[in-house]
Amino acid sequence: MSATLDQKMQQLTPLGQRLPWVVAGLALAVLPHVPHIAVWTLLIAALATGARMMIEVKRWDLPPKWVRITLAFAALLGVAASYRTLNGIDAGTALLVVMAGMKLLETNSTRDLTVVVFLAYFALFAAFLYNQNLLLLPYMLFTAWLLTATLMRIHQTESMPVRDAAGATAKMFLQALPLAVLLFLFFPRLPGQFWAVPAREKAMTGLSEEMTPGDVSELSLSSAIAFRVKFEGNPPPPRERYWRGPVLHQFDGRTWRRAGTPYTPQEVVSSGPTYRYRISVEPQERNWIFPLDMATGWNRERAYRTGDFQLFARQSQITVLTSFDLESNPQYVTTTELRKDLRHWDTFLPSTRNVRTQELARRMREEAGSDEAFIESVLTRFRSEEYYYTLQPPALDANAVDDFLFNTKRGFCEHYASAFTVMARAAGIPARIVTGYQGGEFNSMGGYFIVRQSDAHAWSEVWLNGRGWQRIDPTAAIAPSRIEMGLDAALSEAEDVPGRAFRSNAFFSKVRLAWDAANTFWNNEVVQFGEAQQRWLLEKLNFDDARWEYLVVALVLAMVGFFVALTAYLAWKFRPRSRDPVAHVYEQLCRKLAKRGLPRLPHEGPNDYVDRVAQSRPDLAPQLTELRTVYVNLRYGPTPLATQFSRLKFLVNQLQA
Amino acid sequence: MKLDILPRLHRFARRWTRKRHGVDPDPMQLPSKRIYIIPTSLGIAFALMLFAMFIGATNYANNLALGLTFLLGALALTAMHHCHRNLSGILIRSGNCEPVFAGSVAKFQIALENGAPLPRHEITIANDHGTAAPVLVQANGRSTLHVELPAPKRGLLTLDHFEIVTMHPFGLFRAWSHLHMNLTCIVYPRPSDRRMTPPPVETDTGGAQEAMKGDEDFAGMRPFHPGDSPRRIAWKAYAREQGLQVKLYAGTAVTSHVFDWDSLEGMDVEPRLSQLCRWIEDAYAEGHAFALKLPGVDIPANVGPAHRQHCLTALAMFES
Repeated sequence: MSATLDQKMQQLTPLGQRLPWVVAGLALAVLPHVPHIAVWTLLIAALATGARMMIEVKRWDLPPKWVRITLAFAALLGVAASYRTLNGIDAGTALLVVMAGMKLLETNSTRDLTVVVFLAYFALFAAFLYNQNLLLLPYMLFTAWLLTATLMRIHQTESMPVRDAAGATAKMFLQALPLAVLLFLFFPRLPGQFWAVPAREKAMTGLSEEMTPGDVSELSLSSAIAFRVKFEGNPPPPRERYWRGPVLHQFDGRTWRRAGTPYTPQEVVSSGPTYRYRISVEPQERNWIFPLDMATGWNRERAYRTGDFQLFARQSQITVLTSFDLESNPQYVTTTELRKDLRHWDTFLPSTRNVRTQELARRMREEAGSDEAFIESVLTRFRSEEYYYTLQPPALDANAVDDFLFNTKRGFCEHYASAFTVMARAAGIPARIVTGYQGGEFNSMGGYFIVRQSDAHAWSEVWLNGRGWQRIDPTAAIAPSRIEMGLDAALSEAEDVPGRAFRSNAFFSKVRLAWDAANTFWNNEVVQFGEAQQRWLLEKLNFDDARWEYLVVALVLAMVGFFVALTAYLAWKFRPRSRDPVAHVYEQLCRKLAKRGLPRLPHEGPNDYVDRVAQSRPDLAPQLTELRTVYVNLRYGPTPLATQFSRLKFLVNQLQA
Repeated sequence: MKLDILPRLHRFARRWTRKRHGVDPDPMQLPSKRIYIIPTSLGIAFALMLFAMFIGATNYANNLALGLTFLLGALALTAMHHCHRNLSGILIRSGNCEPVFAGSVAKFQIALENGAPLPRHEITIANDHGTAAPVLVQANGRSTLHVELPAPKRGLLTLDHFEIVTMHPFGLFRAWSHLHMNLTCIVYPRPSDRRMTPPPVETDTGGAQEAMKGDEDFAGMRPFHPGDSPRRIAWKAYAREQGLQVKLYAGTAVTSHVFDWDSLEGMDVEPRLSQLCRWIEDAYAEGHAFALKLPGVDIPANVGPAHRQHCLTALAMFES
């Protein structure tokens, strides 16, 4: 089979023999785009490629120029119509793929093939814009290598074996690597963007601006990572690991919404320990940072905190993994005054919904006598009556809270938080829902916490006179282990939790954490390498006052160093080496004599040459005569001896002309 | 306008390098400082692509994309060094150049010798009249290339300039060097059309004139020329390691012409030489002996390719 394939390849023109390699390189470069690119563009490119290969095999003529131009223009319009823009990476990538196909269709020279390889490089580049995963890196490097080897092969007149080209390009990549690393480290990172990038619309799992019963439990099925946190020093105890997200105020009887809040910045008085940490937020649809409740220190240029204490990044969307250095105090007291309109805002309930709950709450409030006692009695009700904590709660009707409290009695954190908040509001206590995450998995290898979507959580905040906003987590009442030990421990054994078995296996767990640690290192040190790291690097290199001018100086020095080193290395590799040691020593002798003004003439053999030199320098005659005898014997004699060779070397070294 | 500037620049650069380097020795080991290198149009396209990548990577603040851009950039610069190294230190030696007739194209043989322990890829030589197919010169190996030059008129044709070029490894850079070795090629006059009949034949007897003894008398030996009958080869002499010799016999009938300059009275110099050239070519093709008489040149009758070359060279170099 392979023999016939080889024969068939032999029958093709040199261009035809090179074409499949270019196509393979292009295919590898386009492959990472398959998940997000419009299918028709891939089909068009594949079709064009197939057509071109067919033309080559059948030795047909290429389609006329006007056909190719029409096709290319139609493809351009197609992309514009399908993406409604030509700006941005989505449309750009689609255009790239289509145009690579069109270029292949008209490929008729080495030059065209080279352009296709360039387009493949660009597709590879675009793939990095979508995904900077560590896992992708070896694949990308392999593809770049293959493309470069192909580039070398298409520029050879005689066909070059793949092995040779791969070996030669691998060496060149290794030689180029130091400069690439230096450029990466020292090239000044330009802040900001050259042009506005249209936001990518891509559904991502994560918390949203509203909460309907079932939302958080659905989110809990996802093991996608929301963010990672690395503490300086000891982390807070598990019961304090509340990662604060959106605060929801508006309730329609079933769904909670964030909706525009009229809150003005409020003061926070903190006590107890301050935790300093770095949070690395995975890409999401919003600009939410999830600080440890309560964030007290952040970079004002990069983030801001709203009146209801949610922390936002100043960019419109966190599109790439982004880190923030924060400070938090889990023990705090907020402002103790609440404006009248805000009090009204946070005690509002639709009067026609969940009527039974509201009645119950009012009755309990009367019985309790104080707000604090009321809260305690509600939590006691959850704890002592037959309420269950489950990931698969039954569906609820329009009066969701009534249905849950009096009928189903099965719910996840959002059910309890919602029910509690409604009861508090009905009792006249300002209350709101806080969504976010709770807990997190500690990665001992990387020394950081991983917080996943499955750690999503919802709790309540109530306003108590004289004490300000207080966190009340009804889930802690019904399932205390959820707060202390995480979701897997809190749910009953019978419950089907995705990945629980995987997580509980010690070996897999270790592998998983090691991989995550490697990924985190990669993300922090490479993906997010920027101005701050460059400054740190310069300080390490003893540039005291780190300025970008020094980066330029470092860069120029690095470039010059690279050029000198590479030139010297190549000169050393290409130095002529005499494979014949005897000839080498004889050449040494000739050079020595030439320096004394007695160069060997082109026609002279050793005998004539030595005779002539001996005549003009009688003082050297005895040495030279012996030298000649030894040399001639080594060179032409029947049995050259190793001792003779060392004698020859010795004589040449000793010669004091 | 644009079409005018480029060749002019090219000519200017050529004159400048010629003035700067003078005539090169033969053989010549190409020193690094003689090599020029600039990006090809593909190289410029590659640079533009890298620039676009750089802008994109910076715009999206994407470090890996930036890393790929830097890696490809560094690779291009490494390729530049390899391209330069590919020529540097190569030994260029002139080969022979077969004489040609005026109006045809002379092919100068150039040998490239690689003393390095690594192969040199895709090296070619070129001049204004064409480029040879690139060759791979193996480690410690040697390759021969041809450079062509039209020979419009008879005399000594000088190849005063050629370039050694490489675009290895990726075609992104073109490294080249101008060489001025003053290689020469003899250009014979163009043979005229068969219009004039050759001068009458003198059937002569080769070897000793006095004896008309026929084919059987041994009269000596001369070196073998292609076309001699194998029956006349002196195999005994060959066995004595005296080389291939042909036995000559007295009385061998030889058809012999005398091509005389003076017999073509009234013609201009070049047509006369062309006519003589035509006669020589025809006589040689038929295996006749011929003698050539020019003012100041008198070549006795003989046969064989060496004689032909001798005579044609005399025509080529006549009064020059």
